[in-house]
Amino acid sequence: MIEGFEFKQCISILKSTGKKAGNLHALRDLIAQVSDDCIFHHTYQYFLKEHILEYTNDFAHWAGESLEERSLAEQLSNIDPYEYDNISDFRKELLSVVGNYIEKFPEPREAMHGDEFFFNETITLIFPIGIRVKNLAEFLMAIKFVDVGSIYYHFYEARMRVGGGIDDFSKWIEESLEKKGLAERIRAIDPFMHNTEDIRKHIAEQTEKELRGDIEIMGVEE
Amino acid sequence: MINQYAGISPKGDLLLLQRLARVLGGRSFLHVNSTREGGGVAEILQRMIPILQGLGIDARWETISGDEQFFEMTKKVHNALQGNKETITDTMWQHHFEINRQNAANIDLDADAVIIHDPQPGPLVEFKKRGVWIWRCHIDISNPFKDVYKALGRYALKYDAIIFSVSKFARAMNIDEFIIPPSIDPLSEKNMELSDDEINETAKRLGIPTDRPIILQVSRFDRFKDPLGVIKAYRMVKKYNDCILLLAGSPATDDPEGAAVLNEVKEFAANDPDIHILLLPPFSDRDINALQRMAFVVLQKSLKEGFGLTVAEAMWKGKPVIGGAVGGIPLQIAHGVTGFLVHSIEGTAFRIRQLLNAPEMAETMGGRAREFVRKNFLITRQVRDYLSVWYIMENKGKSIIEF
Repeated sequence: MIEGFEFKQCISILKSTGKKAGNLHALRDLIAQVSDDCIFHHTYQYFLKEHILEYTNDFAHWAGESLEERSLAEQLSNIDPYEYDNISDFRKELLSVVGNYIEKFPEPREAMHGDEFFFNETITLIFPIGIRVKNLAEFLMAIKFVDVGSIYYHFYEARMRVGGGIDDFSKWIEESLEKKGLAERIRAIDPFMHNTEDIRKHIAEQTEKELRGDIEIMGVEE
Repeated sequence: MINQYAGISPKGDLLLLQRLARVLGGRSFLHVNSTREGGGVAEILQRMIPILQGLGIDARWETISGDEQFFEMTKKVHNALQGNKETITDTMWQHHFEINRQNAANIDLDADAVIIHDPQPGPLVEFKKRGVWIWRCHIDISNPFKDVYKALGRYALKYDAIIFSVSKFARAMNIDEFIIPPSIDPLSEKNMELSDDEINETAKRLGIPTDRPIILQVSRFDRFKDPLGVIKAYRMVKKYNDCILLLAGSPATDDPEGAAVLNEVKEFAANDPDIHILLLPPFSDRDINALQRMAFVVLQKSLKEGFGLTVAEAMWKGKPVIGGAVGGIPLQIAHGVTGFLVHSIEGTAFRIRQLLNAPEMAETMGGRAREFVRKNFLITRQVRDYLSVWYIMENKGKSIIEF
């Protein structure tokens, strides 16, 4: 019997650490001090936000938009947090990138008052949304209308939980539905290059393609 | 009650609300502020308390009473917390405490969770009986006048947690600090859906022509809302695009500064027949709703702002909003996506022209704006967050809570 997939969702309650950085020196010093939860929020949870513009984490966004240090913003955006086994190693990489930049440009500009980098952390609440699917057709229906918080939980947050860059969707599709090809196509969707709405579209497209293949009993003869 | 929001609010928010209600249902939740009417806090509590009660929470709302001296002093505290230099004597602080002591004797402060709104009832924490006590600070205290902050801080630190509206309003205080933005109620008179007939009737009654695009700013006549800057921007636009400017606000009979600003605005408008200055009486929510719906673009060209919820109100009506990049406005407007953030009169004029010349872009932006508000600034999200904070404070030490 196929094990069903139960959709869950997470929401985050924001907590302020009260710490803020007005320039890159302060940013570096505080990245070194703040909690793992704080680093997690400003990087991994970036994708829980709606409007992903040019960057892939809050530090890069602030460096690019508020300080107009575009080169640093690009370098910070290029760090893939999922390459690291733990926050500690990831934090070291962030510090190294910011530190190297400061060495080259030792007098970085100050952010405008009110536009400093505010260090926050979150408390995450996870809850089932009352949707359980048993096959791919039901999965397609569900993926099209669940809240983006659910896509985030199963596609982004799962990577830390499941490990190895694997999301909940592809794991279930591979293990329970035994559709390795579709699982691999979903894993090939680059989490960094899309916002959660785009991720939803791509998963739906791939699933639809798979379902079409399943129901077509006759192809055009060559 | 909560069912009324089905199909409007995000489903996930409603589901989590139901889960939270299951664990907190039947328990008592007290809100205390200093006024039943007027101001954003009273407006939100009026709407929020019935929702909480509908979820099975024993929610109550109490207000403190005080004399003229008390409210004069708390007005000074309010200004000082936002950075103004104010002199508040020890006698005044004692009076502040004494009024709260009297109120504590009259109000039943026994509850499982208590939220005290703003500085006026702050000292009530000294009369805490039990439960989780949270101070809800609606203003920006990131750069306060130190003496006053220090004096009020003795109360603030006795709370279990503080809630601010925006990260940048907060400061390091050695206490749990949560960030919960305010919200609008999509079912209230100010935000509910209106028929085209009603919108047209309102325009007719208020004498507003609808044959050309309307540029609207709804705000008090206050220099920080830059009404003269708005007129200047409109004049720059008017050279290229025919349009109507509508400035709507309440008459400021009790505020001499407001009356002076209004006169300046009228004088500056200089009988331009296409500038309409509307003085709406208090409780004109439905008219404001109609004005926002008939507008083509809405401005909130503030130079200084609290959260600026009028931005979310206009966005909810599918309007692109051009807002000053101050206070909570940048949290609501993603520049170029859900509206435009501006830093000058010229920028305001340029963005108005851009929208007038690209109505399709205005429509797309307005659609995104509405969706952004739906996901982030509806009252159900704020109730969800308040209940979450209550639950989090009773389950301290966990960064992940699974239901």
